[in-house]
Amino acid sequence: MIAALAWRNIWRQPIRTSLSVLGMAFTSMLLVFMLSLQLAAYDTMKSSMLRIADGFGQFQIEGYKDDPEMDRVIADPAALLADLERVPGITVATARGTGFGLLARGERSFAVAILGIDPALEPEVSTLSGLVERGRSLTPDDRDAIVLGDGLARNLRLGLGDRVALLGSGRDGSVAVDVLEVVGIFKSKVPELDRAFAQMPLARFSETFLMAGGVHAIAVAGEDLPDVVRVEPELRAVAARHGVVYLNWAELRPDVEEAIAADMITAVMIYVTLVVVVVFITLNTLYMSVLERTREFGVLLAIGMKRRWIGRMVWMEMIFLSLFGNGLGILLGMALTYWVQQVGIAIEGLSEIYESWGMPARFYPAMTPFRVLFGPLAIVLSIAVLGIVPYRRVLGLEPVKAMAS
Amino acid sequence: MDPIVTCRGLSKTFGKGELAVHALRDVDLDIMPGDIATLAGPSGSGKTTLLNMIGALDEPTSGEVSVDGLPLSGISRSQLSDLRLSKIGFVFQSYNLIPVLSARENIEFVLQLQGVAASERHDRAMEAIKEVGLSGMEDRRPGKMSGGQQQRVAVARALVSRPTIVLADEPTANLDSKNALELVDLMRSLNREHGTTFLIGTHDVRVMEQSMRHIEMVDGRIDSDARSSA
Repeated sequence: MIAALAWRNIWRQPIRTSLSVLGMAFTSMLLVFMLSLQLAAYDTMKSSMLRIADGFGQFQIEGYKDDPEMDRVIADPAALLADLERVPGITVATARGTGFGLLARGERSFAVAILGIDPALEPEVSTLSGLVERGRSLTPDDRDAIVLGDGLARNLRLGLGDRVALLGSGRDGSVAVDVLEVVGIFKSKVPELDRAFAQMPLARFSETFLMAGGVHAIAVAGEDLPDVVRVEPELRAVAARHGVVYLNWAELRPDVEEAIAADMITAVMIYVTLVVVVVFITLNTLYMSVLERTREFGVLLAIGMKRRWIGRMVWMEMIFLSLFGNGLGILLGMALTYWVQQVGIAIEGLSEIYESWGMPARFYPAMTPFRVLFGPLAIVLSIAVLGIVPYRRVLGLEPVKAMAS
Repeated sequence: MDPIVTCRGLSKTFGKGELAVHALRDVDLDIMPGDIATLAGPSGSGKTTLLNMIGALDEPTSGEVSVDGLPLSGISRSQLSDLRLSKIGFVFQSYNLIPVLSARENIEFVLQLQGVAASERHDRAMEAIKEVGLSGMEDRRPGKMSGGQQQRVAVARALVSRPTIVLADEPTANLDSKNALELVDLMRSLNREHGTTFLIGTHDVRVMEQSMRHIEMVDGRIDSDARSSA
């Protein structure tokens, strides 16, 4: 009956209770929607950026990322690739070589980072081949082909079918020289890539740079980034067995992680403010209701109800109110999020910035139990904990004084 | 026969120094089982304070109160709650029912606090409702009942736990003559049928006329204590 009494008590002032419920429901709805949108946008941002060229994770020789010397190679990539086939969640693993040099045509030459790729597997790891605007991406039959960025092609005044000289330094320090035919020009909208990045077949890369079977990295991908994140311990174990290191997405792209962290700080401040405001408004309402019923609590004490039971009843009222308000907020938040999932949301004026990060112009929120429940639970738990204030007031009541109030 | 309530040297002072108010001064009183006693006197004479002391709602400045042989001094707040729950029934001037509970639920509530099983609670509450003449009104909330009906529910709530004594503070003050007389008759019949002991603080002559013992208080002291043949 105490639970029934608590439930009925909160509806003594239906308008006041309804306003409190609506306040909490609105805040919860916002939290559900904003978290679903923001965290999904981060996932999109990470996936999009990693998908352009890096992959969701990479195996390298320790220190290669910071100091990419040509002779820092994975000597036996075949064994490592064979091991990776047994890791669940990894749908593809592909070897890469990375060289740095000059691309030259006539009097013109520009610095380039050239990636030796497996044309059959690379499209499953990186979206760059899909961004080819003119010509085609590399195919397994290609020998002396090169695909390069739109900016680089413009700088070198190259078109499809033109031949370009590549000069670099081989694994053993000797000069690496090759002549390649432009078969495709990509436009990633990431200026750094478009100006100074090119791909050639890994087999040809190995010959040109005298790699002697070694590669600089093995990139991996899964259905989505979380799948790969989940198997990170296994990937690190594989790396350890082969004497290499595994770099996760954050290690590959610390700039992305920092950008997300910086954005999260602002977002968290907004979320905390929302939670604090709604919690204090709700507690204020409930505390007022406790003050208004001091005389009644005195009567309950007089008829033999213990203070802690009255305290529990008041606490239960707070829990009921917050569960009701936040339950409603979850439903509304899920409905709103579902609707936006169908239509997407575009942030006017920022599409160019997003494109430069390899991100789509429209965002689609995605719900997970964490995103749906975290905000509302934070409100419920805060109210449950801060409910100690009215609870303590009830514990301090004396029947005669309370009845005289 | 031992008294149900014993007060010895009971004093209560509110405030200190020049502002001190001596609400009770060295009161000695015994209430015997089956008494239906009225406590009368002008406002400020100490009636309510004495009822609060006997009801374990307040502590005396000095002196001792015992209820059913149990001295109240030195026992914990939790034990005092248990004592009020099991041995004392209260009827207040303003009824003080819980507005969100029906008449039956108000009565059952006390039994639930005592840990009585649900089916027994229901039966006893219905019996109490019948006893106070409110059959058919058990599902009404206090707001839908007259003052007299609410006070009957309050009496039923006070009696349903089968207390040792019922303390009533101005129970007829908010009632019209008809309802006041009916309430007095009800208390008398409950006293006759169940031997329930009542101590009633009142100004109401009609209540005093029906009591078997009349205690008059003046300035915090018992001025007279007389039994009648009523």
